[in-house]
Amino acid sequence: MKKFTIMTMIFVMVFLSIIMFYEPKSNLGESTNKYNMFFAPQILYWGSRGQDVKNVQWQLVKWKYLIGKVDGVYGPDTYRAVRRFQAKHGLRVDGVVGPSTAAALGITLRGTTAPASAQGLNRKGDEYLLARTIHGEARGEPYIGKVAVAAVVLNRTRSPKFPNTVAGVVYQPLAFTAVADGQINLNPDKDSIKAARDALNGWDPTYGCLYYWNPATATSRWIWSRKVTLKIGKHWFGL
Amino acid sequence: MDKRRWWIAPTILGIALIMAIVWGYNEYTTKNQLGVALENHYQRLFFDVKKHVENVQVDLSKALLSESRDQNVLLLSRIMNEAYSAQDKLGQMPITHAETAKTEKFLNQAADYSYHLIQNHLKGKPLTMEQRKTLANLQDNSSVFNNELAKLQSQLADKTFLMGSLNRRQTKKVQQANEKVLSTSIGSVERVMEKTPELIYDGPFSDQMLNRKPLGLSGKEVSKQQAEKVARDFFGADRVKNITSFEEGKDVSQVRIPSHTFNLYPKNTSKELAVYMGVSKKGGKVLWLANPRPVSKASLSIKQAQDKALKYLKDKGFDSMEPNYYLRYDGTVLFNFVYKEKDVTIYPDLIKVKVALDNGEIVGFDASSYYLNHHNRDIEEANITIEEARDKVKVDFDIDSIRLALIPKGKEEVLCYEFKGKYRNADYIVYINALNGEEEQILQIIKNENGTLTF
Repeated sequence: MKKFTIMTMIFVMVFLSIIMFYEPKSNLGESTNKYNMFFAPQILYWGSRGQDVKNVQWQLVKWKYLIGKVDGVYGPDTYRAVRRFQAKHGLRVDGVVGPSTAAALGITLRGTTAPASAQGLNRKGDEYLLARTIHGEARGEPYIGKVAVAAVVLNRTRSPKFPNTVAGVVYQPLAFTAVADGQINLNPDKDSIKAARDALNGWDPTYGCLYYWNPATATSRWIWSRKVTLKIGKHWFGL
Repeated sequence: MDKRRWWIAPTILGIALIMAIVWGYNEYTTKNQLGVALENHYQRLFFDVKKHVENVQVDLSKALLSESRDQNVLLLSRIMNEAYSAQDKLGQMPITHAETAKTEKFLNQAADYSYHLIQNHLKGKPLTMEQRKTLANLQDNSSVFNNELAKLQSQLADKTFLMGSLNRRQTKKVQQANEKVLSTSIGSVERVMEKTPELIYDGPFSDQMLNRKPLGLSGKEVSKQQAEKVARDFFGADRVKNITSFEEGKDVSQVRIPSHTFNLYPKNTSKELAVYMGVSKKGGKVLWLANPRPVSKASLSIKQAQDKALKYLKDKGFDSMEPNYYLRYDGTVLFNFVYKEKDVTIYPDLIKVKVALDNGEIVGFDASSYYLNHHNRDIEEANITIEEARDKVKVDFDIDSIRLALIPKGKEEVLCYEFKGKYRNADYIVYINALNGEEEQILQIIKNENGTLTF
């Protein structure tokens, strides 16, 4: 009996200390990795060119897998050398330099980094934020419903009634439920990223709509006073 | 033995209790700190909005009085700045969009309008009577807004007013009261804004630009059946298994380009993979197509894909289209094709074509901006020669190519010489007006192996 009580106490202690000292692991790093995988495929294969290929060739020449010159073109010689290297190091022999082969070579692939002249200008920030919004708001929707949600965000940036940046629109208080409940911080899937890119490149299945709502869950009466135009998936779109 | 160990259980229980209390207290203080931080942030936004709107109002009244052009330009640029700041911060406050939409619109247009007036001033045009009247109207509106904000401010001085209180339970009543105060005062501003007449000017946020009608569509309204046939034929009638139309609401004809929208289910694919298509009601033209099928292995080169796209456009009846930029993503390439007439590149008439790099199928098509802008144009002859235009460009701009192009400017289009080149290791396009030699626009281009972006 005593033993039982003591065991219970210890159990309670352990439980409490877990509550007190447990810190949820941030999955930010993981999500950026996933993001980079989708956005800048860090994979080199037959036909790849660029500085990354040069780095790979440099290593291969240094370790005598490749006899030839470092020219930055992933041709037949490089392909064979990579296969030899992979066989020797117990990697999957596929002649493709992915993250694991690159790690074994002791280099990191920079992926498709912009040239220096880009001065840090790119669209990735908006792209990723849009993809996250789509993932939070329209995960179960058909593809066109995802593009439509992103198009609404972009139409809002162009409307005087709304903030003028993508982040301004997405994070406007009380605008999106997925932002309020934190679902926007989930990792976007491949479809969401694709839809975000299509929307940024101009596809707009809503023809300029500024609002959308799910008739099953919409709580605001005001939203029903909008001009109703089109139903895509589960959402109604409106002006 | 029992006697010796009787104290163990109460001690452990006691320790557990103390730990729980410490934990609870920590959570409580953290929550309070977060609440205070959020509240401070909202208060700051509020006071900032107040200050910005005050400045807009004051500068507007000064601009109305001023007779000096230089002074006016300075004042207007400050109005623009302050109005944008006020709008930006208003959009961050915890008020629903329904209650701020018109106020935000007012601030955005006030800023946009000031920018438009600055441009006029710099071209040497003085303010017209009409513009003065509009400015006076803007000034009235901003003073109403300012009055309401001042009222709110005095209510804010009351300690119980919290904008974003996290203490849901204990201050439910207070919270509701607060929301009411905030809503009613912003709401009354909204009602004033509603009465404002439309601003007539040439800027991206003007009502004219927002309510533009498509220029490139003519002919009769087509019925849903006719549109369905157009969609089938466009995609290839023999490849379509089934076609359904999207459910429409009662205001479907109020969108920018009223259209019929369809799901096409191609043969030999699973049900989820539909192709989507929009066909304009007027004239029955295909506005856009999206085929989101995955692309497995990219085997085509950009050149091959471009040839496929060009052939596709020719088949669909778009003759003099010229490929401009491309962007490679997700196993596809997106080409921007621009209409060309009499050796002039007409940028507003833009068609986008997306080619899958596995078998060269067209998986995306978007002609909405083409149909929005395309019309029979009377393209003027250039008034100045290339050499004269070259003199207007910076001397050490390293030029790669020159051509004539029509670019959009507000709702107008201007004929320009387009100079592509490099400056300080970055790529730019400089547009010089071919009629009067003014520098109209500069674009920066970012090139990488996946394509080109313009900024």
